[in-house]
Amino acid sequence: MSSKPNFSREYLAKTHPGRETAGTFRDPAGQLYLTPTHAVRRIHPGAAQDTLAFLTSPLRAALEQSGDLIESKKIGEERDEIWLEHPRVDPISYPWEWCAAQWLAAAEVTLRVADQALDAGWTLKDATPLNIVFRGTTPVLVDVLSFERSKPTASTWPAYGQFVRTFLLPLIAAKYLNWSLQATLLNRDGYEPRELYRSLRFWQRIHPDLVDVVTLAAFIQPRSGASQKLPSVSDPELAKHILHKRLARLGKQVRRAANTTRSTEWSEYQAQASHYSSADKEDKQRFVRRVLKQCGPGRVLDIGANTGTYSLLAAESGAEVVAIDSDAGAIENLWKTATQQGNSITALVANIARPTPPMGWKNREQLSLLDRLAGQFDMVLLLAVIHHLILREQIPLGHIGELCDLLTRRWVLVEWVPPSDAMYQEWLRGRENLYGQLSEDDLLLAFRPYFHPCDRRVLGNNRVLLLFERNHVVEERPRATMA
Amino acid sequence: MSRLLRVFPILVVLAGLALLLERPAYAYVDPGTGLLAVQAVGSALIAAGWYLRRKIASFLHFGSAPKSESEQGAPKKEVEG
Repeated sequence: MSSKPNFSREYLAKTHPGRETAGTFRDPAGQLYLTPTHAVRRIHPGAAQDTLAFLTSPLRAALEQSGDLIESKKIGEERDEIWLEHPRVDPISYPWEWCAAQWLAAAEVTLRVADQALDAGWTLKDATPLNIVFRGTTPVLVDVLSFERSKPTASTWPAYGQFVRTFLLPLIAAKYLNWSLQATLLNRDGYEPRELYRSLRFWQRIHPDLVDVVTLAAFIQPRSGASQKLPSVSDPELAKHILHKRLARLGKQVRRAANTTRSTEWSEYQAQASHYSSADKEDKQRFVRRVLKQCGPGRVLDIGANTGTYSLLAAESGAEVVAIDSDAGAIENLWKTATQQGNSITALVANIARPTPPMGWKNREQLSLLDRLAGQFDMVLLLAVIHHLILREQIPLGHIGELCDLLTRRWVLVEWVPPSDAMYQEWLRGRENLYGQLSEDDLLLAFRPYFHPCDRRVLGNNRVLLLFERNHVVEERPRATMA
Repeated sequence: MSRLLRVFPILVVLAGLALLLERPAYAYVDPGTGLLAVQAVGSALIAAGWYLRRKIASFLHFGSAPKSESEQGAPKKEVEG
């Protein structure tokens, strides 16, 4: 590695066209650039010394060892700036693609890191879900610039307000007001207490978990032009005691807010599905297992994964799996199962027919879902989902083939649901002329420009499992490494 | 007027104490006015509990050999109820 690497924006633009500005820049201490293989962080001169001190601290080593903090490597220094390299987590997931259990896991890792930092003489200066990325099922703090030395007598956590706005209030809004966590897409800095206060009922406003962060906070108004002051105490031991208690209370509040047992439209689907006999289920699982064994895909995308039966099969076969479903309840069940079993599954609440758009400043801070998924997979699973795309989203078969071409490097496993199927009929709703005559041949014709069929299995309920292979295999994109 | 003159020094002392115990918020993240106050109130309550427990502890140990500051230490970290 050269001691004077040229990591200017121009360099990144030349080596990684189109990606050089994706990332974050709001923290005055530095900027993050996302390249196809790594996240590269530029630390500005004013923050370089503190960052180096943190990187050489036992706290950083302990947090990296526990897996709570992303690995960092110094790759260069230039004009008092330093450059760090982190492994890129693929795919990056954003909070608006998480279920409540993932929000809780992200909040807990943030509080755990803050608690550990406190004992080591550091503090987290910001605390937002955007600083957390899921590596499989495990939440990881990815912002090393969040750490700053704490003042021993400080009795307030500087990131308290942000934690409440961006973690706690969205969970409270989801639990008490049914505001979807996916709606946080529109609120980069979370919710203000007054927004929730206005919508909550009287008994909710005086709930012990809400009375301080919603009601009291909404009532206290700033004086015009008043400066913000952080209280401190004279005894460092007392200051530390106060902060530990503060973090413990936040932990209790997020755990209670995330504790919902509401079932959603599809969260009980696997248990309640009546159009599948147990013999058909077993037959389907046997075929999928065989295909996974024969093809040995390294990375699998399960579209419409539901509670994850086939994502788990793929993970058990040794693949890294990304499972997406628009039903948050189904993804919650999937994520919990994968976490318990220790499987490598990244679970996202997302609708492939309306994929998450790019967000943030100039649409360049957060990448779109398709930008993150395109060309990343050896196999795409479209099991019991194609009739959703045809009948509920009105997507023509040719467009589905084109999307698969974008996503997979080699295989697609499709479950064809014929018009005679009970679920197909339920959603046909008088549109026989348009969709009532579609057949397996139409699917083959639509996929022909990109794929050819190489395996087939007809189930007892007349659904057909079809394995397609690309007409032209595409090269694998280089993966992140930490040498 | 004389009442105002009597109250004025008290107000000055109170304002001074308030400034002594505060420091400006320099973080780039918005601390949130209401939430900052909530945190300050919570901190005051926890501090009150801390001092109260110390008083009770020293009262219970009245008559026994005095302990050093480090031996008295902080109350054990506990989970809030």
